[in-house]
Amino acid sequence: MVHRIEREFSFVLNGKPVKVRAPPAYSLLEVLRYELRMTGTKEGCARGDCGECTVLIDGEPVHACLTAMTQVEGRRVTTIEGIDPGHPLVRAFVESGAVQCGHCTPGLIVASYALLSRNPRPTEEEVRDAIRGNLCRCTGYAKVVAAVLRAAGA
Amino acid sequence: MKDRPVLCDDKVRYIGDPVALVAAETREAASEAVRLIDVEYEPLPPVTDPVRAMMPDSPKVHEGGNVCRQTSLRFGDVEAAFAAADVVVEGTYTTGTQIHAFLETEAGISYLDEQGRIVVVAGGQSPHRDRAEIAHALDLPPERIRVITPYVGGAFGGKDDVSVQIHLALVTMKTGRAARLVLSREESMVSGTKRHPAVIRMRTAASRDGRLLANEVEIIYDTGAYAALGPAVLDVAIENCNGPYRIANAKIDAYLVYTNNMVASAFRGFGAPQVLFAMERQVDRIARKLGMDPIELRMINAVRKGDVYVFGNRMEGSVGIYDCLRAAREHPLWRERGRPVELEYPWLRRGIGVAAGMKGYTIGALPDRGSVSLELNPDGTVVVGGSFTEIGQGVVESVAQLAAELLRVPVERVRVLFADTERSPDTSVTSASRQVFLAGNALRRAVEALAERVKDLFEAETGKRPSSVSFTEEGAVVDSGRPVPLGELAERLEAKGLGRGVVGTYEVPKVEPIPGTLEIPHLFFMFGVTVAEVVVNVLTGSVTVPRVVSVVDAGRVINPLNFTGQIEGAVVQGLGFALMEDAKIADGYLLTRDLSTYLIPSSKDSPRIDVIPVETFEEEGPFGAKGIGEVGILSVAPAIANAIADACGVEPTSVPMTPEKVYWLLKEAGVVDKLKAGGEGHG
Repeated sequence: MVHRIEREFSFVLNGKPVKVRAPPAYSLLEVLRYELRMTGTKEGCARGDCGECTVLIDGEPVHACLTAMTQVEGRRVTTIEGIDPGHPLVRAFVESGAVQCGHCTPGLIVASYALLSRNPRPTEEEVRDAIRGNLCRCTGYAKVVAAVLRAAGA
Repeated sequence: MKDRPVLCDDKVRYIGDPVALVAAETREAASEAVRLIDVEYEPLPPVTDPVRAMMPDSPKVHEGGNVCRQTSLRFGDVEAAFAAADVVVEGTYTTGTQIHAFLETEAGISYLDEQGRIVVVAGGQSPHRDRAEIAHALDLPPERIRVITPYVGGAFGGKDDVSVQIHLALVTMKTGRAARLVLSREESMVSGTKRHPAVIRMRTAASRDGRLLANEVEIIYDTGAYAALGPAVLDVAIENCNGPYRIANAKIDAYLVYTNNMVASAFRGFGAPQVLFAMERQVDRIARKLGMDPIELRMINAVRKGDVYVFGNRMEGSVGIYDCLRAAREHPLWRERGRPVELEYPWLRRGIGVAAGMKGYTIGALPDRGSVSLELNPDGTVVVGGSFTEIGQGVVESVAQLAAELLRVPVERVRVLFADTERSPDTSVTSASRQVFLAGNALRRAVEALAERVKDLFEAETGKRPSSVSFTEEGAVVDSGRPVPLGELAERLEAKGLGRGVVGTYEVPKVEPIPGTLEIPHLFFMFGVTVAEVVVNVLTGSVTVPRVVSVVDAGRVINPLNFTGQIEGAVVQGLGFALMEDAKIADGYLLTRDLSTYLIPSSKDSPRIDVIPVETFEEEGPFGAKGIGEVGILSVAPAIANAIADACGVEPTSVPMTPEKVYWLLKEAGVVDKLKAGGEGHG
């Protein structure tokens, strides 16, 4: 039997304080998905290449798969579950047809949310730059970029 | 062809071959157990070059030899046509191992339900076929297995074969416990199927006035360690290797070859993009030799509805290639291609290229039928069931929309039950761009069956069989009576014990196999034309694509957002195939095992895309629609290659056209030296 070593972590998740016991080597992504069962944040590669697991820490987008739990202690984490489904950005993704298989969508919405928070009227180039680390294999990005611009115009 | 073991016995044929399966309660325990497995291998000489694999003295991957399938076809008088030709162009073209790289890797869970059935919930493209594969491999009756395919995180053909399903079922069968298997990105890239890497030799003859006279083609597709869907892929390659043109004389020799490389199978385009890269490069080179406009040349040769294609199959469905070419010619990107464009640096060259494509949709001469169920509920909602899988293409939405249209109900009142062997009838595989066509037609028949059921009801109630039933916004109108709301109909059907559900079945009209040639000729084809703008950096060989126009013969467009989304996505996958998706493989080992070494297009690589539907009306399609899932990718790579030729006067022959390859082409042609000497380019 493999013995599991755990420790406790405290942070603010989508506005609510949480305490969670997890192996200290776990990434934030593993804790979100396996310990907290918050499966909205997806795993695409677990090594920082695809951007699927993008979450916000104190408002800044990061790869949850590359974020050690020790880095999360005491900080504010926002995941896709923390963004209101009625948010103009979410509505714009649906209305623009920016979602096909949907696996990359949570990461794209979180990355775009961070962009619009600091730059409410981005240009197309600024949108493309902000999501350059979020891979999508279905859409070819055109409708994703259109959705973010549409939300910015709303 | 069943040549692939679930777990290897005494021979391992490629790096992704499974040799043992570990089930554990935690990932840590599973990793520890894997570490304790000791496998003794006796290394065999690797067979990795498909051309060498075909030689008689090559080591054999399978007992029967390395040529998995071979076809030789002859039509017309090829030699006479070449003798009479004014222009002959010859080339050898290669295309690489493209990896599907769907963002959700192969994944699933399994468990025993309360009736002792093994339930497998996994990403896939065909729940009923997956169930048959599990039953066959585990020697269980199919009724003991239930396969559910929930929303799938991308597939593109890469989930057409079984992946995790049998392994999951095996663990649950052996342990009686629930199991979960999620491939890591690396496991997915190593063990998953690929697009067939290809070597294609072509010699094409044309007359001075631009008529294509003959095509001599050799096709070699490397299927890797196992056949998978390779034989069908090779057939599609053969069927489309002459492009959408009238060519009377053809000599085609095609080989599907086993190697110790990773397994190749279905990938969007299913064998067509490779041969079309070769053919569309050939056509462009002919146009240049003749001094003709490349679109004009293609229009002169374009197939028309009713034509007998080179294999003897008559083109009976809608054939929109001529209209696509005409629309491409009218597009400003093409019309204004001669206009000088100011580029940022003197070492950049701009070019515009065009290419055409075709591919059959539905599965040809194989039995191709599907059923869809339709049920009325007393609350006025409608439930549509079918085994089509939702892989991001929007089939669930499209089917709901078709049902709403046929029954005249708001789309919110339609619920779709999909891809569950227990609850949805078999609509067969979701591949070959066939599901809207198939499910749509089956649905149409289900609505006809429902109308008959309503007549049964009225006959049972009144003793007289009505002569007509139509569906309106207010409900079903029987003869000229008052409209009966669907909810009320459901109650009355229930009261008479007639059943609220019906099933519609559609069988695709099929062409017979052409003896000695195509095993699965198609009756229905999609067509498209791509125009691409490239900017080539002469100093680095890197190519960017600012703009693409994709003109598609889509039949009638059912859902404009889904349609443009499918085409845009396919164009960008085609761009990845054309320029950047470079799987490095050495002795059968994949070196590029992650998304930072195997690069797929990002938001910064994707061009501005204009999607232009040429809406021909497909008589056989639901509301005139055709398949659209694959057409967008078919001619992207040759259009980009032709644009590079236009920009720099070099002739790319190898996909992906990486900066290294393009740089050496430019170097060999003296373009680089000329620039360094301060000469002016022609771009």
